[in-house]
Amino acid sequence: MKTDFLYIHIPFCIKKCLYCDFFSLHYNETSAREYIDAVCKELSMKKNLAAELKTIYIGGGTPSLLPAGCFKQLFKHLNDIFSLSPSAEITVEMNPQTIDDSKIDTLLSIGVNRLSVGIQSFSNDELRTLGRIHTADNALRTIEGIRKAGIKNYSIDLMYGIPGQTMDSWQDSLCRAVRLSPAHISAYELTPEKHTPLYRFILSRKIKMPDENLVLEMYNHVTEYLSRNGYEGYEISNFALPGYRCIHNLNYWNHGEFIGVGAGAHSFINMIRLKNTEDITLYKNNLAGSILPVGESIHIGSGESIEEFIFLGLRKTEGISIASSENLGLNIIDLCTDLVDEGHLKIEEGYLRFSKTGIVISNAIIVKLFERLSVE
Amino acid sequence: MLKNIRNFSIIAHIDHGKSTLADRLLEYTGALSTREMTDQVLDSMDLERERGITIKAHAVRLLYKADDGKKYILNLIDTPGHVDFSYEVSRSLASCEGALLVVDASQGVEAQTVANAYLALENNLEIIPVINKIDLPGADPEKTKEQIEDALGIDCSEAVYASAKEGIGTKEILEAIVKKIPPPENTDEKPLKALVFDSWFDNYLGVLILVRVFDGMVSAGKRIKLMAAGKIFEVSRVGIFSPKTEQVEELSSGDVGYIIAGIKSVTDTKVGETITDADNPAHGLCPGYKDMKPMVFCGLYPIHSHQYENLRDALDKLRLNDASFSYEPESSLALGFGFRCGFLGLLHMEIVQERLEREFDLSLLSTAPTVIYRVTVKNGKIIYIDNPAMLPDKYEAIEEPYVVTTIFVPKDFIGPVLDLCQEKRGVQRSFHFIGKERVRIEYELPLNEILWDFYNRLKSISKGYASMDYDFLGYRESNLVKLNILLNGEVVDALSLIVHRDNAYCKGRELTGKLKEVIPRQLYEVVIQAATGNKIIARDSVSPLRKDVTAKCYGGDITRKRKLLEKQKEGKKKMKQFGKIEIPQEAFLAVLKVK
Repeated sequence: MKTDFLYIHIPFCIKKCLYCDFFSLHYNETSAREYIDAVCKELSMKKNLAAELKTIYIGGGTPSLLPAGCFKQLFKHLNDIFSLSPSAEITVEMNPQTIDDSKIDTLLSIGVNRLSVGIQSFSNDELRTLGRIHTADNALRTIEGIRKAGIKNYSIDLMYGIPGQTMDSWQDSLCRAVRLSPAHISAYELTPEKHTPLYRFILSRKIKMPDENLVLEMYNHVTEYLSRNGYEGYEISNFALPGYRCIHNLNYWNHGEFIGVGAGAHSFINMIRLKNTEDITLYKNNLAGSILPVGESIHIGSGESIEEFIFLGLRKTEGISIASSENLGLNIIDLCTDLVDEGHLKIEEGYLRFSKTGIVISNAIIVKLFERLSVE
Repeated sequence: MLKNIRNFSIIAHIDHGKSTLADRLLEYTGALSTREMTDQVLDSMDLERERGITIKAHAVRLLYKADDGKKYILNLIDTPGHVDFSYEVSRSLASCEGALLVVDASQGVEAQTVANAYLALENNLEIIPVINKIDLPGADPEKTKEQIEDALGIDCSEAVYASAKEGIGTKEILEAIVKKIPPPENTDEKPLKALVFDSWFDNYLGVLILVRVFDGMVSAGKRIKLMAAGKIFEVSRVGIFSPKTEQVEELSSGDVGYIIAGIKSVTDTKVGETITDADNPAHGLCPGYKDMKPMVFCGLYPIHSHQYENLRDALDKLRLNDASFSYEPESSLALGFGFRCGFLGLLHMEIVQERLEREFDLSLLSTAPTVIYRVTVKNGKIIYIDNPAMLPDKYEAIEEPYVVTTIFVPKDFIGPVLDLCQEKRGVQRSFHFIGKERVRIEYELPLNEILWDFYNRLKSISKGYASMDYDFLGYRESNLVKLNILLNGEVVDALSLIVHRDNAYCKGRELTGKLKEVIPRQLYEVVIQAATGNKIIARDSVSPLRKDVTAKCYGGDITRKRKLLEKQKEGKKKMKQFGKIEIPQEAFLAVLKVK
């Protein structure tokens, strides 16, 4: 089986944010250049896994830190070894303070057609709490640059549930984001993950997380406010103007396969979930010896596959198609009659989806479905 | 004619050094070479060693050449060291003519020192005080002797000073045993009369009965009769422990040893039973036989219902070795099928539960322990209730078991100890100073009240200095009511308990509060109510889950999310489903944490 979706991980940041537990390293140019060489090698080794690419997503870390030369090298290589669909969605993640007009021009010239900007908040206090390196002004200037370059398809990441955040400041951030008219907005709840400074601050009571009712109100506000402004919520945390849904991310939720390249990158190929090693030296050394730098691999059996189909699919606003569940031999309706009766789930237009009250307790509901699956 | 035999026990408060002293005696008399010694040989079950408690009684024959030049057989009969097994202790003591009373010179007299010494005195034993651990920096042998004289009236002028750990005083103790403990009389010509003080099941040999022969002789081929059980068996083998099993020709009056007679179950060979010659029976049983009845009950349920049969098999097997433990199938609306199990006391209960989980690899859920109530229903008919859920709505009277509790405590802690006993519905019976520093307090208390965290609180309010012991007194009428717990309007039978009417309100409120803490938020509101009869006396609720974390799936890391969901699913497996509500195990023990 070949797949059409490619993810490339760039694990470099100027400074790690206080809440972040994703894999990233301190940026320096030499090691970034060596890294791109290794990524190109891995791409060559994986070229037979890909058909005609529909998406390329360059995530991180902070990919926008890479020098223009690195981007040019990477895209030349991509074009050399893969065939790209003419309408391919090509996304690069970026953070304010790491990009200038000339780098934006470079990205455009090599074929990048979608940008995702990690703004998180328009309150400088909140940005400090999160340990971000930019200010609200920096963010505005970055977006200005993007718009000036004529890019319409860009996305803004925002966060709610930040310590100290109020309903007012959340409304303000959202309002300012909408005024910039991005094609896409992601609104994530801040979750304190173990092994992060934020988590330790909470344990030591230096920082207090906001009340759960407030966070719930913030979530309800974002869905309602964005939909009023023309953004369709198509996933728990993702909203887009018509025609601008992120094709790459939708593939994850559609339980699709994808190739991941780079240290710490994930792949899903032939029912195997792979994770590359995060050890960047080992990553480079493996590739220098033409060995795939696989860290972990898990085979997804038929039971697990059905679980994934459910928990990923239900993240989407449209939910999971009843017809495709039946194709998997899954009688999804029988599994959740009571949960539908109680209003946590809905069956509409041939789809099973969460209700407004169900979506916010989706984990509890999904675990219930899992329990029933394991009894059967 | 007298025999060169001495039968003796060692009695002590827990941790005063009984097992270590037994090891020294074995070592000194060469019963085991140093190479064969593992510390505390007599405590052979793993659990005994881990908990430092001797559960099973054992008997060892020691050979000793005394200073008078003669050779003696010394039979050391080990005794369990916990109040739950006091009957077994008393039967072991009844098999002896003397006892070593071991007291820690740094701790002094404790509750079980006294309880065990009284048992020995009741059996007319010669008591040899041994002041142990004299090598410890805090040791005060003189004060310890005074305490023994004050508390027990035992002459301590010839007490032996010892340190079992260092081997100090071992020879002096052996000499004292020979000189002071009277030898058994030779009554070999009388009809056989032997007292059973322990028995256990061996996979290869069947039941081994440990006996003290008082009269007559027993050997292989003889037909013996178990007098209380009324059953007859043929002896296949007799022997002694050296401490390894060693077959002998015969056991005769004064001897201690084992009998094997093709017996399949220890229920036939209860402790205190008398064995006689079926063809030439003795007149009457050995004195003091009691059929020990369990005092404490709880429901044991498999967490996974498919383990029900395994649990039954495990209980069957344990029962082979433990006649004082009982079980009967029962079912609960909340918990499904399980067993109502009876134990001598709380420790006994913990030990059985731990063995079930450890040796048989079962996951168990246990309901809160309860005592057995005597209930008079219509027409004066009396029923016994060992499960609060079974208490009928209407009855004429209800009685609960009372115990007399003896507490030893330094005088500084008298106030809080009296408060605690008062709070637990106690009635003071006596109050005595033992020396200048310590007090002995006796209280009559409902057994039910000391099941509920009494011992832990006693320890904590006395900074660990208090010790206690209790003895069954009898049934007394009390103003008791059944306290039901309702979840969303349905009674959860496994959470019912019987409480004193004056405490019902308080306990109901506290219990609903505790349950609120342990029941996790669910999709629905969970209303927790406490009720007596139809009257709701307390209410609490667990608000429904309003939101859980909707963390993003980043960069295709699906595995992370899957692990999170798997973990939640595993957590739920440990819960019992009650209608739509999921109840964690802790809920069933929450009652224990209520004051």
